[in-house]
Amino acid sequence: MTPYRRWRNVGVHRALISVAFACITVAGCSDAAPRRVASGAVGADAPELPRVGPIGPERYTGPQGRVGQFVVKCTYSHSGENDPIVHFGHAGHSHRHDFYGAVGTDATSTPEQLETQKTTCDKEFDTAAYWHPSLYDGNTVIRPRSIAAYYRAAPGVNPESVQPFPFGLAMIAGDAAATEAQIGGAVGWVCGASTDLQAGPPDCPASAPLHLELTFPDCWDGRHLDSADHRSHVAYSARGKCPVSRPVPMPQLMMSVNFGVSGTGHDLRLASGSVVTAHGDFLNAWTPAGLAREVNACIHRDVVCELASNREEEALFQVR
Amino acid sequence: MRTLGRTRAAILALVAVMAVGACGSSSGSGGSGGAPNTVRVPQDHSTIQAAVDAAKSGDLVLVSPGVYREAVDVTTPNITIRGTDRNQVILDGGFKKENGVRVLDTDGVVVENMTARNFVSNGFFWTGSDYYRGSYLTAYRNGDYGIYAFDAYHGQFDHSYGGGSPDAGFYIGECYRCDAVIDTVVSENNGLGYSGTNSGGDLYIVNSTFRNNRAGIVPNTGSYELCYPERESTIVGNLVYGNNNGDAPAIDVALLANGNGILVPGGVRNIIERNRVWDHERTGIGLVPFPEEDASDLPPAKADWNVPCSKTRDRKVPKIPADKCKGLEGLLKSCAVLWNPQENRVIGNVVEESGVADLTVSTADLFNTGETVDTLANCFSDNTFTTTAPTDLQALAPCDGTGSGGNWDAGALDLLGLFTEPAPAPPTDAWRSAPKPPSQENMPKARTAPAVRFRGPTKPNVDAITVPDRPAGS
Repeated sequence: MTPYRRWRNVGVHRALISVAFACITVAGCSDAAPRRVASGAVGADAPELPRVGPIGPERYTGPQGRVGQFVVKCTYSHSGENDPIVHFGHAGHSHRHDFYGAVGTDATSTPEQLETQKTTCDKEFDTAAYWHPSLYDGNTVIRPRSIAAYYRAAPGVNPESVQPFPFGLAMIAGDAAATEAQIGGAVGWVCGASTDLQAGPPDCPASAPLHLELTFPDCWDGRHLDSADHRSHVAYSARGKCPVSRPVPMPQLMMSVNFGVSGTGHDLRLASGSVVTAHGDFLNAWTPAGLAREVNACIHRDVVCELASNREEEALFQVR
Repeated sequence: MRTLGRTRAAILALVAVMAVGACGSSSGSGGSGGAPNTVRVPQDHSTIQAAVDAAKSGDLVLVSPGVYREAVDVTTPNITIRGTDRNQVILDGGFKKENGVRVLDTDGVVVENMTARNFVSNGFFWTGSDYYRGSYLTAYRNGDYGIYAFDAYHGQFDHSYGGGSPDAGFYIGECYRCDAVIDTVVSENNGLGYSGTNSGGDLYIVNSTFRNNRAGIVPNTGSYELCYPERESTIVGNLVYGNNNGDAPAIDVALLANGNGILVPGGVRNIIERNRVWDHERTGIGLVPFPEEDASDLPPAKADWNVPCSKTRDRKVPKIPADKCKGLEGLLKSCAVLWNPQENRVIGNVVEESGVADLTVSTADLFNTGETVDTLANCFSDNTFTTTAPTDLQALAPCDGTGSGGNWDAGALDLLGLFTEPAPAPPTDAWRSAPKPPSQENMPKARTAPAVRFRGPTKPNVDAITVPDRPAGS
């Protein structure tokens, strides 16, 4: 079930192009850190591909459980100024991120390494890495509680057509460079398990604290595990269909970050900038057989294998 | 029953696969491969998973004593998976694997006479799977639920034990009309003894024991899942006692419900009769509202209460209009909806030794709608008790005739005081060290009884059930 296990560690080839720290030539790269190769062929650059499809997802709203799903809950692991997708091999070059899933994710993490790590997730085969920019309240960094990662067929997509993420797939949801509220529904802020996205963080009660919801692309080009902009190898489906050039339906991954923040009077910003720069990253390092098992069991058979709700939040009846 | 050799089993499995491939269907009693057979573990297959996958409709997977470190997914319909010894056939998740047995969109799967422990999620779990039965099962030290059915119909849990889960020992959720029975089970040392969100309709919880949990029997409503409200659960003839267990593992709702025997947050049209309920720090039987602070939908009209889930679940849920969306704590962005307990009937129970009140009903007019507790049509008759809130509740709200017209404010429950101070949280991994249950009763003739196709639960003769006696020594 894993024909796309293509990551390599190579020392001399150019890796992902990052906007801020791109290696212009091979000779110009003195950094000897292992390099990640983003496409199938060893030595190929992360290709520049055209962006296709809608700018955001079709989302599920309202009560959970209309379609089959599984939900992985991962507690907060650690933070670091690292980004193994955007700034691979360059420790400290990123804004601060909070990591979940595979333990120890850093700037040089490869999917093969991640798969050998312990995980903070409640599914033992989920050794993927999930991360997002840290949230600050004034100058105080918020320690988030956990994420819930929902995996389901996107609205209208035939569940039986959904393929597991290829091993090593890198994806980003949201736009770290946004200067105004992002449109398209890939990112948004909510209280608790609500699906009513707000452009900025609402004031939330303690029993339904602040969450950031990030929905990743669900269509893949079938060839590239990453691309120069880390986006154009994947796309969002529309009306249940993937674009012809990104034809492989994958689970729609929705990552809901529980920051545990409640009450009023907060001064919130992200490590990437203001709250409109919300985004998240996913580097697939699930044990392939484990991911395939869950996709088969829950998405293909269209059953609810897990739910995430506010049953696990405190102060349900905290009324003044 | 015959015992199959490995070769024979393999041939039969192959025949079954070919038959499925030829017909494109695996439905039908006994399948296409001939009479039902017994597939033995470890004799025919070394793992339960391999035996289940090799079995065909109608077969019995018979498991010999041993500790099986696997998580079994079942997608073979109409099979029975049975241990030869309930206490010695043990599925063990090692605190890593998720579900002991998980039945996925597969009807007619019976699991009996075995134990599941140390799973991160659930001991035994049916999802989207009808005609399910779990009998003579023991589930303990599992991270979510012990024995669990979701979006499943025509089911039965009996002679089973659920212990040491932070959520519920037993759970039946998201079904209407469920057509399901929980009979003769023991649930202890859990966050909740029984929980069921948005379930009901021919759902019987009878002749069972719920003790030493955080809270005993707690069916509830919420629009975070489909098929709200919770309704028409029939809770009769149970022993419910000592549900104040501060050492039990607990999710947060269990901390809030701590110290209550039978608590109905936001449920409607439930029947609670002839239970014996005692020794609770808060209430014996409490009908309370459920304020859902991140609600997805408003309560449906009463006319919708008897509409099957299959007809409501695909309805488009509009965004809650801003003027219906109330913010608690002065936070207008949070959208809270209050689910009230309505039309519940509490009759003939014996309720004693409750710290706050033996019997209580309440609402909280959080949003100044003017809806008051006397309009919710809950009723109380023929109970044996000492204290109620409001005072003289049976006179205020009898099930036959009209109420006394007395004062509902006298002695009313201080709902906010009751629930604003949840019990202290235990360590999140408290479930891993929950007590090991004593040896449990085996099913009769486990080695020889044939597998019988399960065609739905036997509706209990509720009228014949009397208030059970206190067990000796309790």
